[in-house]
This record gives sequence, structure tokens and C-alpha cells, in this order.
Amino acid sequence: MSLLAARGARLRYVDHGKEHFAVDGVSLEVQPNEFLGILGPSGSGKSSLLYLLSGLKVPSSGQIEFDGRPLSQMDDTERSRLRLKEFGFVFQQPYLLGYLSALENVRIAEMDADNSAAAVALLNQLGLGEKLHRLPHELSGGERQRVCVARALMGNPKVIFADEPTASLDHRNGVAVVSLLNQLRGEGSLVMVTHDETMLAEADRVVRLVDGKVSD
Amino acid sequence: MRTRGGEKAGRRSNPLAPITYLLRNAGKTIPLTGVIVLAVMLVAGIISMINSIPLSIRTIYSYSKEFTGVTPRGDATKTLPILEEIQAKSPYAIDRVIICRVTVTEIQSIVGKWPFYFIGMNDADTRYYLQRQRVTGIEGRLPRAGLPEAVISRPVAKNLNLKIGSEILGPTKEGGFSPNSVKVVGIAETDRWLMLSSIEYLREYHFPPIDLGMVSAKDPAEQPKLDQWADKHFKGRQAGILGYFQVEKDTNEMFATLYLILNVVIGTLVLVVTLMMSMLINIYQGQRLVEFGLLQAIGYTKKQILTRVLTETVLVVILGWVLGLFAAFGLLNLAKTVMMDPKSYALDVLDPVAYAYSIPMPLAILAVAAGTVWWRFRKFDPIGVVERRIV
Repeated sequence: MSLLAARGARLRYVDHGKEHFAVDGVSLEVQPNEFLGILGPSGSGKSSLLYLLSGLKVPSSGQIEFDGRPLSQMDDTERSRLRLKEFGFVFQQPYLLGYLSALENVRIAEMDADNSAAAVALLNQLGLGEKLHRLPHELSGGERQRVCVARALMGNPKVIFADEPTASLDHRNGVAVVSLLNQLRGEGSLVMVTHDETMLAEADRVVRLVDGKVSD
Repeated sequence: MRTRGGEKAGRRSNPLAPITYLLRNAGKTIPLTGVIVLAVMLVAGIISMINSIPLSIRTIYSYSKEFTGVTPRGDATKTLPILEEIQAKSPYAIDRVIICRVTVTEIQSIVGKWPFYFIGMNDADTRYYLQRQRVTGIEGRLPRAGLPEAVISRPVAKNLNLKIGSEILGPTKEGGFSPNSVKVVGIAETDRWLMLSSIEYLREYHFPPIDLGMVSAKDPAEQPKLDQWADKHFKGRQAGILGYFQVEKDTNEMFATLYLILNVVIGTLVLVVTLMMSMLINIYQGQRLVEFGLLQAIGYTKKQILTRVLTETVLVVILGWVLGLFAAFGLLNLAKTVMMDPKSYALDVLDPVAYAYSIPMPLAILAVAAGTVWWRFRKFDPIGVVERRIV
């Protein structure tokens, strides 16, 4: 059984009175421990698909299932709990809380207050062991994104969603970040959205998205 | 275990604890707290200072708590009959009836000069009167019969800057005329305000030529009842009854309008400060949209974020209010020491009404802050943040 699945998922939006579909009838499955790349040009709906798969958005029609359970059967609180406990996120921009150190920014991924050792271990693996107590403005862009990667990996999530995680980085740093994500995800699946095919060299499978639809 | 950073891992504080945000964002926390501190200090300070005026009236004229004053309303022949009637008909046991003469002089108050009775009575009555007014000792001596001499209490001495040998009434004394220079010969140690001379001197040199009476109840606790009974008993007759209850009543009536104005002023202040605070809170929250969006995106519920932000606000408001109370207490103590005590002006630095007046402000700020946060979160979309549409 797949870990995560989209079944005819559509995401409708209205622009100037005209109906559009950012995601138009997408069906796909993510297997446990799989690295799934979602490739597509700008505006193809890949980020929207990621938001649907991760429960950040609710499909206008169709269904998203996690562990066989439709997300539509969950209320907001349950979906939030799912994101916090089972999912990890890396966004395009390296969003960190400016008043927290690198270590603390990683620790916020879990509500458990006794998670420092795991956070330190992750930051060490990501080469930030000497910068645990630096504030975000004291880190480079690449370092900030690596902190975000560590945050996404905290608690060994079942699925890590990465939305163009290399967008704010140069190519070398981008490749390094994707490689780290892939190496450190353990048993978790990785769903990564990008417009840069070279970033998906390590992906187990790549799905191409055009105009909100999966293109064969 | 120890991390490479040298700190103990585990048992650390929660990075998202409200106190962490407040301490690490002192640049925002201090102005918010400071506004509340200043506002609370201002409100409690203003109310305490205003309350010091009626408090001064009650303090200065508190000597009247010990006696029911009796005047014959200009008819000198009526004094004794009135006093005899009180003795005969009072339902409360009478301890002593004092015949006295009175002239009016002035004392200084925080709002200018106020009239004060300079009372003349015989030596035995003077001793009884002083005892009743809780006098614990006398510097100097009591005035001698017929001589231009006076005994005053310590608060009066401080208020008018008088010492033994100072002139309290005199031919050229503004607000305190007497044909002779009346000198202070004794200062009584008590918190009551007193000016006493011999009845013989006042009969000889002061107008009007009318004796007055002072009646004390045997049980001091029954004095207010005796006041009320006498006032009711002689209503409509040619007899004036003076008691402490009238001081209370007149003071309350006198200050009713002032307090109404004060309430409007304080209400306006609360409104202005609350609006100011809500604007500040709104600006600061606007600067935290990325934080709120990120937390919501990674799985924190709106309720958790809302609770956290509200807890921060509650902490700021409580801290500001408590510090404001301490600041007000400190400021009032300073005012009391520097400005009030040297003139014996009354000021209650722990006036509960003044501190109670400061409560609506933090409550209003809290309500507005909660409303602002709720409004912001009502339709908050974390996707807008992570997609950089609303940052």
C-alpha cells in the first residue's frame, strides 16, 4: 500500500471571474522510503500539488490519502498534528525565526522540549556543529537552508516535502542540500518539487507536471 | 550529555515559550511594557493626588470626630438651654459638655488656604480635650487664662511652620487677626489638627460674643450616633449641630463633580493608551507574519499560535501593570516626602481606589490585543507566507 496518494485531485481558483485549475485531476502515489521528484516549469501547479499532498491545502475535488486515510476526513487540528508529527517541510526560502539560534530553530519542529540531543546530532551531520548557537542573520544562505533541512528531518518524519528547496541557493549549494536531504531522510519518503531537472539526479522517480496535469 | 556547543542537551527551555520571545525581543517588549508602566503610574498618581484633597479635608477636620459641636445660630442666650436639652434627652451617655469660644483662622492646603477653628476653653476642658484628641505629650505648656497664648498640634506647627514663641494670630497676621500677638506656647504631639487658647482671651478680644458648646459621648464609638441624633433632634430649630458626618457629606458633595470629570479624563486616557497599544501590537504582529505562517505550515495549530501570542501579551500587560504600580508607589512616596509631609498635607501612598483605577487599562489593552490577534488569525493563510505573497 502506498504511503501517500493523490486520487483525481483538483485545486480550483478563480482569477478575474474565470475558473482555473492549478492542479487538474492528478493521481499519483508515493511509496515508503521513495524519493519522488515533481518536475515542471513555473506555473505548472507543482507547488500547489505539494500543498495538497501535505494537507496545507484541501482539494476542490478528488482525494489525498495518507496511510490509507483521506485527509478530507481530518479537521484542521488533525491535519496540523499530522504535519507536525509525520511530515517535514523545506520551503523555497530558508524561513527561520530570527530570535532563535540554529539549534532552537531545529527544535521547534517538535513540541517535545527534550529534543536537543537529536537536533544537535542533525546539525552536526549537516556540518553546522560549530554554529549551533548562531542566530539566522549570522549564517549564510546555504547554512540557513541546511538548518531548515535539519528542522524538516527532526522527529524522523514519514514524508519530507521540499518545495524548490534550492531556489535561493547557487547550484553547488543546491545540489549539496538535496543530497543531504536524501542521505539523512532515513526511512522517510521525500517529495521534492523543482523546475531544475539536475536537482533530481538522486530521485527514485520523477513525475512531470504541465498545466496542473501529470504529463507522460 | 554535553553538546559541542558546551550546553547540556535535554531539559532545555522551550524555544517557543512566550518568555523566550519577550526576552529576546526586548526592543519590542520594553516599549510595550513602558507605555503600560507610564500609563498605570499616571492614573494611580493622578487619582492619589486628587484623593489627597478630600483626604486632607477629612484629616484636618478629624478633630470633630470627638465632639458634637453646638451653635445657637447667633442667639447667645440659647447655648446653655440647647446643651441642657442634649444632656437631658440624648439616648447616648454624655461624658462631658464643654463651653467654648471660637474664632476663625487659616491653614494651608495643597489647593490654597482653608478656614480653621481657633478654639478657646478653660484649662480643665483643654486638658480633657487634648486627652480625647489622642495627645501623647506636649512640648512647652498650655495657654494661661486670659493671655494671648495658644497650644497647637504638631501637624499645625508643620503646616504653618510655627515653633514655640511663633505668632499664630496677631494684629497684622493675614487671615488670623487678633488685637494682640498670640504666641504659641505649646505643641501637642498628635496626628489631629488643633489650635487652642483660653476661653477668657477669646471672650475678651474676639467677636462674636457667643459661647458655643461641644458635647462628647461617653463611648467614643457612639459619637457619630450622637451627632446624627442631635442633628435630627434640632432640625428646624435655632440650633446648629456640627459633626464629622457633615465634613464627610460636604466633602463627598463638593468632589462629586470633580470625580465625574476625573472619570472622563481617566476614561479618555485609557482609550488613548489602549489605541496606542493596539497600534503597536498590530505593527509588531505584522512583523511576525513569517513566524506565524511558518509555524502554521509546519504543523502548529492556530489555537496554539494564538495562545502563545496572547500569553505573551498577558505577560507584558501584567508586568507593565505591576511595574506601574511599583512606579506609582515610588513616585507617590517621593511626592509625600518632598512635597506633602513638610506641610502635613495628607497623601495616602497606598490608596486602594487609586490603584483600582489602574485596573481597566490593562484589561482594555488585553481585550484589544486579543481582538487584534483573533482578527489577524481569522483568515490567516500560511501558504501566502511560504509563497512570499504576504510578506
